[in-house]
Amino acid sequence: MRKNSRISSGLSRRQFLKGLGVSGAGLMLAQAGLMRLAAQAGSINYWHHFTSESEFLGLEAIMAQFKERYPDIDLIQENIPNADFMARFTAGVLADTRANVSMVTTERLADMVAMEGLVPITDRVNSWELREYFPDNRWTGITVDGEIYGVPAFSFVDWMYYRKDWFEEAGITPPTTLDEFRAACVALTDPAQGRYGFGMRAGGGGQAFIADMIEAFGSPLVVDGEVAIDRALAIEAMDFWSGLYKDGLVPPSAPGDSYRQIMEGFKTGQTGMVWHHTGSLAEIQAAMTPDQFGTATKPTGPADTLTRTSFLYNGLMKDENADAAWAWVSFWGENDPAITFLEATGYFPASTAVADDARIAENPIYAPAIVSAAQGKLPPQFIGFAGWSQEIALPAFQRILTGESTVEQAVDEMISGLADAL
Amino acid sequence: MFSNLRRTKLLFDLLTAAILIAVTLFAIFPLVWTFLTSLKVEADIVTSTMQYIPERVTFDNYVALWQRSGFPQLVTNSLIVTTLTMTICMSIGSLAAYSLSRFRFFFRDQMLLLYLVVRMFPAVLMIIPLFIILRNLGMLDSRFGLALAYTTFLMPICVWMMKGFFDAIPVDLEEAARIDGCTRLGALNRIVLPLVRSGLVATSVFIGIASWNEFLFALMLTTSQGSRTWPVGLQLMVGEFQLPWGTLSAGGIISIVPIIIFFSIVQRSLIRGITAGAIKG
Amino acid sequence: MTSSDVLEAPTGRADPAFPLFSLLGRLSESRGWAYFLIIPSLILIMVVVIYPVISGILMSFQELRLTRPGSNGYIGFEHYIDLVSDRIFLRALQNTVVWVIGGVTSQFLLGLITALALNRGIFGSRLARIVVLLPWILPTVAAGHMWALMLDPRLGVINDILVRLGFLDSYRAWFADPSTAMPAVLVVALWQGFPFFTLMLLAGMQGIPDDLYEAASVDGANPLQEFIHITLPLLRPIIVSTVVLRVIGLVNAPDLLIILTNGGPGDATQMLSLYAFNKAYASFDFGYAGAISVVMFIILMVFTIVYVRALRATQE
Repeated sequence: MRKNSRISSGLSRRQFLKGLGVSGAGLMLAQAGLMRLAAQAGSINYWHHFTSESEFLGLEAIMAQFKERYPDIDLIQENIPNADFMARFTAGVLADTRANVSMVTTERLADMVAMEGLVPITDRVNSWELREYFPDNRWTGITVDGEIYGVPAFSFVDWMYYRKDWFEEAGITPPTTLDEFRAACVALTDPAQGRYGFGMRAGGGGQAFIADMIEAFGSPLVVDGEVAIDRALAIEAMDFWSGLYKDGLVPPSAPGDSYRQIMEGFKTGQTGMVWHHTGSLAEIQAAMTPDQFGTATKPTGPADTLTRTSFLYNGLMKDENADAAWAWVSFWGENDPAITFLEATGYFPASTAVADDARIAENPIYAPAIVSAAQGKLPPQFIGFAGWSQEIALPAFQRILTGESTVEQAVDEMISGLADAL
Repeated sequence: MFSNLRRTKLLFDLLTAAILIAVTLFAIFPLVWTFLTSLKVEADIVTSTMQYIPERVTFDNYVALWQRSGFPQLVTNSLIVTTLTMTICMSIGSLAAYSLSRFRFFFRDQMLLLYLVVRMFPAVLMIIPLFIILRNLGMLDSRFGLALAYTTFLMPICVWMMKGFFDAIPVDLEEAARIDGCTRLGALNRIVLPLVRSGLVATSVFIGIASWNEFLFALMLTTSQGSRTWPVGLQLMVGEFQLPWGTLSAGGIISIVPIIIFFSIVQRSLIRGITAGAIKG
Repeated sequence: MTSSDVLEAPTGRADPAFPLFSLLGRLSESRGWAYFLIIPSLILIMVVVIYPVISGILMSFQELRLTRPGSNGYIGFEHYIDLVSDRIFLRALQNTVVWVIGGVTSQFLLGLITALALNRGIFGSRLARIVVLLPWILPTVAAGHMWALMLDPRLGVINDILVRLGFLDSYRAWFADPSTAMPAVLVVALWQGFPFFTLMLLAGMQGIPDDLYEAASVDGANPLQEFIHITLPLLRPIIVSTVVLRVIGLVNAPDLLIILTNGGPGDATQMLSLYAFNKAYASFDFGYAGAISVVMFIILMVFTIVYVRALRATQE
């Protein structure tokens, strides 16, 4: 009985693959797939931090497609909340109960590799038939010491949402520099109506903006493993950023505002602009009408862009069953899964082949993301970044807002804290 | 004199009623709000005009919860883990508590503290060693393994609480029974157990609630749907870019229901069993 | 015959039908009985606890950064020396003291008052008894987020009520202001935590024989005097246990704090438990996290010993 079903599924797989040869990449892949199929069987575990409903639907759709292509691979997905992901990952590595495949982000890569939690897959990537559709910057974010540790699955491109109607009312256009941005905040803020220019995220997750601001004002964080923060520039950056709060251009709740709060502030008409990335588009679209909001690129700083493009990767945690694991990891780079995921979540694909797809290229709402994607920097990549930004930089910045320390004191804390973290 | 006493009693009754009303309101308001939120559509929750009574009542949040989160499996797992934990904890723990309460022996006080060591040592550092122990025992990602982990953390509570309840019972009662020819076990069974009945119920309620609600260990020690518990499922609804208030509050309301049913059954049978023993003996 | 009948066999006399029970009955008269009762729980505790505790203590004397495999090794008391000058640690220590004292006092008092009120058994207490337990049943994940919603600076119903009643001019951001963040978190902890005291103290009160109160009221004692001279002394062992357990719980459980403030704003609600957690799982510095944990452990141990001793001294 079992044998029979395997034969019949084998037949349908062959038929399926024959029917697949539409695009060049698809055909190439079909052939390559046929050649490798024999080796790909067994069971693999996949650790990820997809949790929201749309992400989960997208993942399930991709898993169904994967099952159709590789019926002999049993894929077991295990979801872990993002906040606890590193704790679970650490326990898995220390107790050697690793998954086969784990989701990896650029910010976490250095830490994950340093604790020897990932297996390099450089050779597999270099001989991968779809590699050419992923420009070099996709790989930079997953490379440590020349070794590649994952395949990009999708990307988050920084951008800004703004209240179209408020901007029209005030007769202004989306700002392109930080000075214009501040001017726009001033123009939109009206305490009498309970309106603020910008929804500042200085609660959980707000640490990212601190690093962004310091770099945008011209100071690097770390060069060659040494602290490289320029005190004067960092003070200037933090002065600007905290000045928005002190001058009442952002809601007074900013020190406690995390992702949820800034989005709710924007949706309930408290703020005129928020900064986030393409990952939240679906949520905003569900809550607001096209006349109410628009998307724009984030303003640029005096020295550098504030825009980052980050990719989410899938990497191998162990060598065991590596062929099957690679099949899953590389599957995410193909057109169909990427489009499936985009449709479910609105998450931007990582492959240029997919990004040229009409569904993205011709949708005006995505236009700023295409611009941003081209100029976006990768997130900082050094060991200890996550810990420093969360434990030192963010509380120090919050203390500026609450008046417990001066900008100078906070910047000094950030610098000395970074030295300890390295 | 007599009317004075009656006036005092009335005064205290009024005071009691006032306190109960205030405390009940404090306790129930957040739950009422959770319930109201669970009936709202998302746009009526995230809104600048506060809605006390939902204008558009919807049960979609409950439907979504049922369909998406594998709710029946998670709740079953939670119930199994909770029952296992309660059974092991209460049976082993109460015996130890009785012994610690009634007998004097070497290192008794130190032993009492030893039980607490488990709870005093921060969970942060216990997780990974515990993870390794369970892996070596082959109990990682299993309901029994999780119950075992909970037992070690809740046993100290059981021992300490039950010792308190045993201590509160005068030793003379037991001694009287022993003079009448009971063994220690017989006296424990006939005299002591009926008197600590409410203590036993209270402690098992505590242990049940604690294991029902535990999150960190459940998250770390289980990965598959087959052994994950409900609080983990609830946490997983809080997405990185989404906090669906309606579904989360529906989840909160739903998570109260099984435990109320569960305890009303357990509590009744527990009381009945013990009182029956007392009467017959 | 059911198993409960077995347990009810009144004496230890040899009963051929239940050799196990008569054996246990005889054992209960022997000197080993006390140990016999303890051993199962002790074995379980030992199996699971010894290794984690020892490994935790050893960790604190090592440089153990998972992300720096090369530089790890024993360094003696270095982490402990660093702690003394660690500003965040000292702030967290101070906050933890406030959090524990504020939390235990408020939860104990409300729990005691509620238990006393419920114990009077006036009309409606039966229902109130169930309702009062409900906050505790709601999983922390849901409870934390729902309180965050109710206290939210934009969507919060509590803000709305306070504005309507005239206590506030506009919605407050309770968790964004260092002076209100701690009280706000304490209120949430009070809501979640007082039912524990209510349940346990009420159970203790119900174990107090009625004739004691009857005798007192014959002597003309009012309820307050009854409380001071009968209830409180007899509840003492339960009060000791509940307070010790709650203090430990408050020191070691960061889950509510993670949801509500994550230590912010600034360090206003930073606690030892949170700090240790982040040191371990955000910075992967297990050695330092181990040192923080050992300090927490020692503080709790000293507290428990002193507290139990002090109460015993006043009792005698």
